[in-house]
Amino acid sequence: MITASTDDLLAYLADVIEVVERFGATVLPPNEGEEVQWAREGDDLVMDIGTRLPTPRGSQDVDLVLQERWSPRAPGQWIRVEYGYDLRDHELGYRRAFHRHDADHFVRAWDVATHEHCEATLGYPVCGHYAGEPAADAIDGFLRLYGIWLANTKPDCSKFHRLG
Amino acid sequence: MERLYYTPREVAAALAISDDAVLDLINRGDLPALRVSARVIRIPIAAFDLWRSGVTPRRRRVATRPASGTVTIGAGESLPEGARALLR
Repeated sequence: MITASTDDLLAYLADVIEVVERFGATVLPPNEGEEVQWAREGDDLVMDIGTRLPTPRGSQDVDLVLQERWSPRAPGQWIRVEYGYDLRDHELGYRRAFHRHDADHFVRAWDVATHEHCEATLGYPVCGHYAGEPAADAIDGFLRLYGIWLANTKPDCSKFHRLG
Repeated sequence: MERLYYTPREVAAALAISDDAVLDLINRGDLPALRVSARVIRIPIAAFDLWRSGVTPRRRRVATRPASGTVTIGAGESLPEGARALLR
């Protein structure tokens, strides 16, 4: 888990958008303007950034969504409690994702707080959850998924360790 | 299948500079690139074209606002079967 001050989180979101755009991806509405926002949900701050990767002309869309939930830890201090970094390649028709949510359930079942998704055919998972490396932050999640897309080939989900 | 990236050597040829100079640009964080392994580096074509054109993303203002809806991370995903059994 990572922690941050409120100022850190404001700068962090600007950093994330900057990396996304440096890699040629497009930030989708409602965050395409001059101001990007953390949404306040109850006591939490939530990131929900949709991006579209720079596909060649005539290709179908490739969407990469970055979501995080941060909860207050102390006044002005936050802890990242959930994330979902999700790649859907509609051109090749696959999905890859790095997730952390419902951590208590996953720890009870498999002793892991994070998991991955792999659908070699989009919408048809052979296995619901795979083990994987935790993503350090949204920039790490974005770059890892961007690298998967860059290979321009469907993932071989059979090489991942199945959780169930 | 269309390739979406250049190798450092291809970028060096395009810029008429040495391979080492390309690696310097990458290591300084100037040229966007992805390190696939210790020896393999890929430069996305879209990122390279943007960099070469001199376009740099504008730094955004960041604010907080009340949520207009609820974001559910992992929406529609089934929880582990094993965990369900433990919760009974």
